[in-house]
Amino acid sequence: MALVNPDFVEEVKRSGRFDASACMNCGVCSAVCPMGIELLPRKLFRYVLLGVKDRVLENVETIYSCLLCRLCEVNCPAQVHIAENVRFLRCYMNKKVFKI
Amino acid sequence: MSDRRIGVYICHCGGNISDYVDVDRVVKAVCDEPGVVVARTAVFTCSDAAQQEIIQDIKEQNLDGLVVASCSPKLHLYTFRDVARRAGLNPYQYTQVNIREQCSWAHTGDREGATEKAIRLVRAGIARTNLTEPLQPVKIDTVPGVLIIGAGIAGLRAAIGLADIGICVYLVERAPVVGGWVARFGKMYPHGKKGRELIDQLLDEVKKRESITLFTNAEVVEKSGSMGDFHVRIRIKEPAESDIGVRVGAIIVATGFDPYQPREGEYGYGLEGVMTLAAFQELLDNSGGRLVYNGREIKDVVYIYCVGSRQGTDMENANRYCSRYCCNATVHAANLAFEKNPEIHQFHLFRDMRTYGRFELLYREALKRGATFLKFDASEPPRVEQGGNGKLKVTVKDLLTSGEEFEIRADVVVLATGMVPKKNGKLVDILKLPVGRDGFFNEIHPKLRPVETVVDGVFICGACQGPKNSSESVASALAAVAQSASILKKGYVELEPLIAAVDPQLCTWCGVCAQACPYSAIEQEQYRGREVARVNEAVCKGCGGCVPTCSRDALNLRGYTGAQIKSMIDALVKEIC
Repeated sequence: MALVNPDFVEEVKRSGRFDASACMNCGVCSAVCPMGIELLPRKLFRYVLLGVKDRVLENVETIYSCLLCRLCEVNCPAQVHIAENVRFLRCYMNKKVFKI
Repeated sequence: MSDRRIGVYICHCGGNISDYVDVDRVVKAVCDEPGVVVARTAVFTCSDAAQQEIIQDIKEQNLDGLVVASCSPKLHLYTFRDVARRAGLNPYQYTQVNIREQCSWAHTGDREGATEKAIRLVRAGIARTNLTEPLQPVKIDTVPGVLIIGAGIAGLRAAIGLADIGICVYLVERAPVVGGWVARFGKMYPHGKKGRELIDQLLDEVKKRESITLFTNAEVVEKSGSMGDFHVRIRIKEPAESDIGVRVGAIIVATGFDPYQPREGEYGYGLEGVMTLAAFQELLDNSGGRLVYNGREIKDVVYIYCVGSRQGTDMENANRYCSRYCCNATVHAANLAFEKNPEIHQFHLFRDMRTYGRFELLYREALKRGATFLKFDASEPPRVEQGGNGKLKVTVKDLLTSGEEFEIRADVVVLATGMVPKKNGKLVDILKLPVGRDGFFNEIHPKLRPVETVVDGVFICGACQGPKNSSESVASALAAVAQSASILKKGYVELEPLIAAVDPQLCTWCGVCAQACPYSAIEQEQYRGREVARVNEAVCKGCGGCVPTCSRDALNLRGYTGAQIKSMIDALVKEIC
């Protein structure tokens, strides 16, 4: 069981670079992903929105597997800036996990 | 042999009937039936040309009975009654035989069988028509007054609407003050006014109108009479109890709802910090600055939806219906909470979100401000327990994250409770109101007759019909105004004469028929010094429930008398050559 951590949500919100609030969790993004990674991006974003920091940190490899091809983005019915959000998560990882 | 002059018309229905029924054979088989003087077919009997032909036949042949064998009476009964009326024939001497839905469509693989069945059905129709009598609609004078029960937002608005049309109104409220639940609401969507302000505005309007008489602390204790002229007794309980009798032409019931009261332990109800949506709304309204509960600032809120609505069948007296308003109300409350404290964390645990129409904007706003929605399965509801640090611990399996289990720590857990029917047992008995499976009052048809009940002259509106928000309640209240005014402004009503009739010569008043009548339409009266039954023509629906209970055969249904039914059976079983 994962603990919902509102502080993580705050941290992300403060950055002003992550916005997936319009995500309807429809799954179109994951269906069209050429990498075929199940987690990207709907579930990943959901972890961020819920504030499940542990799960986000567990998925370093997935976050770096994204090709940033934006196929998901053009197909997103809620116009979520998916690639931009993934970029933010990479920055976050760089700082928090890899201490770059 | 019959001395009647009956015209019979068999419809092809453009092939709908004639493809499966040999209509020419039907005409041949019935043209010599007793009383028949004209028998024809028509491609479409409902067409203007065919109607003209029938009218011409009625006039030229001096017909005193009409049979059209076509589709369901639901579709064209009134069309052909009107044809008869236009030709000068009493419309109740017309019989419609259904040889489409009940014959050609039902037996598409058996032309011979369908044709034989059509012959029998048409013969039965002719037999009934042979024994018809001219009937006149029952005309009842109406009293230009309306009794409104319940002075919530629906009742108040209906009263103003009726008064403006020029109808006098008696507004009866059981509570000491008017306004119902809306009066307790805080800021409402979309106008942002408080519930109390809305009610005060309506009450001011009510006070301006002399034709509205408002009774608070009062209830209806007795009703007699029928549509157009009800006699109602109102009991007023302030300060000394007294009764008042009023006469009205129609009654509008707007008694509203009760909020669902969660059981002890239901989603943690009873734990410190677990509250209903109504209690949370009150907290929102009463907090000036930041949201505080028990001296501590509220930082994390968990909402649980569908509490008391859409319950499972395994529960006793389960509420199966969706209360409709709670999703909107909860999301609205969440937005108000964001206004008080933009940093607040809000988690919505839902089964399905139903923020329909313009309420979708509220949902979008909540999402934008950072509210998180988690979908749970009804079979695995969230668990609410006491956690550490004075917080509550909510565990939920989120379907949107493939059923992963999450733990949320919350300061308060808000249960979005639905609406349940108000306990109105006495009123149901007095007005004979139809109660649906869910316990709310039932209209005749939700789309075609949305505020009328099976009791003529008694209308329902607002949340007593089922869960509604305030604007929907007002809309239905105005529908009830329009419906009741349409009866009362004319000064009279005309009712179907196809109702029960008592032969006072035969009746010895045993009272069995009165007990059998679901509409309480049978009363006792004196006839030549003895007691007999009398049918209240305004109340009788012509269901025929009383007829077979009479051991002396003193009751008959006009248009469907015992003799008519017997003659129809004889015609149905007659040999087909």
